[in-house]
Amino acid sequence: MGKRDDGAGQDILRRVGEASVLILISLADGPKHGYSLIQDIKELAGVELGPGTLYGALDRLERLALIESLPAEDRRHPYRITAPGAAALRVHLDSLERVSAAGRLRLQLGGI
Amino acid sequence: MNDPRASRLVEAALRCYPARWRRRHADEAAELATLLIRDGTPARSIAWSYLVGAAREWLTPRPGRRLSAVACALLVAVCSLGVSVALLASTQPARAVVSPSRPPAPAHCPPRSASHAADAVPATGHPQPVNRGPGHVRPC
Repeated sequence: MGKRDDGAGQDILRRVGEASVLILISLADGPKHGYSLIQDIKELAGVELGPGTLYGALDRLERLALIESLPAEDRRHPYRITAPGAAALRVHLDSLERVSAAGRLRLQLGGI
Repeated sequence: MNDPRASRLVEAALRCYPARWRRRHADEAAELATLLIRDGTPARSIAWSYLVGAAREWLTPRPGRRLSAVACALLVAVCSLGVSVALLASTQPARAVVSPSRPPAPAHCPPRSASHAADAVPATGHPQPVNRGPGHVRPC
């Protein structure tokens, strides 16, 4: 299957994994620290992120400059989505929407 | 973490991360574990998640980190985990050293019945000396 890039920008979140995408979605409405992220993602998507998975994904997203760490509150580091992070999330969600629409259309055409 | 055993388990898993990661995240990760345990997440699953995360952290190639260094670090992490597990195991109550199950009988022995089992210990209650010379066959 070839890559699709129709001028809206390359979907760099295609390879970062589900946990990273869920973290970006959770951070889209404001900064959160680790525990809030786990709770929010559980509520939002029904996915229970393990703490090891969470920190791995946070480090990866930070290295890609898609999120940034804010000054620590007590022992907790809140994270915030960056402008490139928001742009990458938009591109990825658009891509998912296209795939989803195509899938629904094919289900209709197939009469299943 | 109120339960010291859960605390030790999570701390042992956190010690498997590279020092750079621990400097940055260890305090927060320990606090996160406390909150998750309070919510009912088993300490075992939290420790396992951190262990897998630590392995990934070591195995992720970083600029300036050679493969041999990664392999050595992984070995150290595994060894320190072994020590931690041994420490945890040593806090368990001592168990009986005698296994209740008897090793399987040699092939030439007939199947044992309940009466045979009762006869297994001599009436004197003392073990009989067994002469195991060359080519001996284990008694039934």
